[in-house]
Amino acid sequence: MQIGYGDHVVVDDLDICISKNKITSIIGPNGSGKSTVLKSLTRLLRYQKGTVSIDGRDLRDFGPKELARRVGVLPQIHSAPADFRVKELVGYGRMPYQGLFSRLTPEDERIVENALKATGTYHLRDKSIHEISGGETQRVWIATVLTQQPEILFLDEPTTYLDIGHQLETMRMVKKLNQETGVGVVMVLHDLSHALEVSDHIVVIKDGKKYSEGPPCEVITSKMLREVYHVSGTIVHIPGRTKPVIAFGELG
Amino acid sequence: MSAKPLKKNQGSVGILKVSMVWTILIALLAVLAVASMAIGSAGYSFREILSAIFLDTDATTRVVVLSLRLPRVILAILIGAALAAGGALLQAVMRNPLADPGTIGVSAGAGTAAITVLLIFPNLSLSLPLFAFVGASLACVLIYIMAWKGGVDPVRIILSGVAINSVLSGYNSLLQLLNSDNLSGVLSFMNGSLSGMSWVHVRTMAVYAVVGLGLSLLCIRHANALQLGDEMAKNLGIRVNASRICLSAVSAFLAASTVSVAGMIGFVGLVVPHIARMLIGSDYKVLLPTSILLGGVTLLLADTVGRTIIPGLEIPVGIVMSVAGGPFFLYMLRKRGKFNGS
Repeated sequence: MQIGYGDHVVVDDLDICISKNKITSIIGPNGSGKSTVLKSLTRLLRYQKGTVSIDGRDLRDFGPKELARRVGVLPQIHSAPADFRVKELVGYGRMPYQGLFSRLTPEDERIVENALKATGTYHLRDKSIHEISGGETQRVWIATVLTQQPEILFLDEPTTYLDIGHQLETMRMVKKLNQETGVGVVMVLHDLSHALEVSDHIVVIKDGKKYSEGPPCEVITSKMLREVYHVSGTIVHIPGRTKPVIAFGELG
Repeated sequence: MSAKPLKKNQGSVGILKVSMVWTILIALLAVLAVASMAIGSAGYSFREILSAIFLDTDATTRVVVLSLRLPRVILAILIGAALAAGGALLQAVMRNPLADPGTIGVSAGAGTAAITVLLIFPNLSLSLPLFAFVGASLACVLIYIMAWKGGVDPVRIILSGVAINSVLSGYNSLLQLLNSDNLSGVLSFMNGSLSGMSWVHVRTMAVYAVVGLGLSLLCIRHANALQLGDEMAKNLGIRVNASRICLSAVSAFLAASTVSVAGMIGFVGLVVPHIARMLIGSDYKVLLPTSILLGGVTLLLADTVGRTIIPGLEIPVGIVMSVAGGPFFLYMLRKRGKFNGS
């Protein structure tokens, strides 16, 4: 199934098509408008012109709860009171399905449990937020958004502030989620190596415009590195590894 | 399979703690209420109070307990509860522990309207509550207009609230200066006092409290969602700006109702939700009811202390709250480091 996102955003002029079931990464230098694109696609920001549509239906026609059931967003900035239990926090993902007074049904509990298991945070469920590490917190937030049972998961720089171990762990988890549950993922990423490694499709944004898009190996090239990031680098294939890696030019 | 019993167990520990805290608070409230009726310029025993309330005994005791002290006790509880609920809601709206109708100028708005009526249009003083509410709402609207910039940002709300608060306080002082010969009523109003309260006041406040507290309970879900950050709340299908405005309106209503009945009482809305949060956590499902109970306990305690600490002199409850609440708040600021995790 395909979702058409034909989009003319604040970010000048852009056309992206995002597919369910796949991992799409949005990359680009600081200030290029990556996050703005992500926010417009998910209606966190209003866009001036153009349309974003899901299955051919305009984003603006969706009610807030209705949209929250189809699209889950993990923004860069979020906070939870330190004493919230992991399980409670993840339970908030069911809000789009609830009325003013309803409590979690057994069905909701089951969905929460599945999200916890899928993100590898099930053993943390009874701990409070201040008791767990930064990487674990990030996975718990992803579980929260997953509990919305969205068709597409939008993650805004999910690895920022994490050390390399937790970064890779998060990426591995995202990939696994995508493969096992078929949920579509759209991520804004800073790290090109991660993008290269996990994406099915990459969109490069430069100065508020789409520079290129396509499969990782076609998009991430020395030419792109030079023109978009102003760095020199080579794409290297290492024997025994299916995906190439980026070798940046030496600094001195 | 093995997870199920564990989870249930954990849940019931939470419920156990909550019901324990609530039971203690309700017991405290009862003890304080009786103590407050017992002590004062005339002291009574527990039995005298009970018989005064339920039996037809000694006339003076009955008059003192039933028409002087009991309405005051009830009023202190209602006002404390309303103030605490108003503060708790504002703290969710602003995601800021400093938010309270007192600090961001909502109470000052109610106060300004009320003082203006008392000093300049004394013949209108019967409609004081109405003016107080209009004043509070105007202050609220003004804060939002000044803070609005494509959406409301908690920090801008606080800053414009503090600015408005200072302007209104200046105006209030000026008005007092200009009318220095006519101050007695206004002074007790400025300092928040419960002296001379009768059943009429109780009835008025009870109506406000039932409406306001009832509305505040409807806000719980949105208050919780706002705690997770604006974008997260939006992602969960909450209309963030609309729910901010609704929550502030309920808070303004609660603040204005207390101002119109008892004048300006600070620090309850600031301190009580904090203590409640330390006792019970940040989930508004339990935090709000706990704040309401604790607010009643706090104000009743403050009023009883103010009424009895210096024999023959009644210290307005607003002054007691400021004197005791300020240092307590500083103590908590130092003791409690982490407010939010991410």
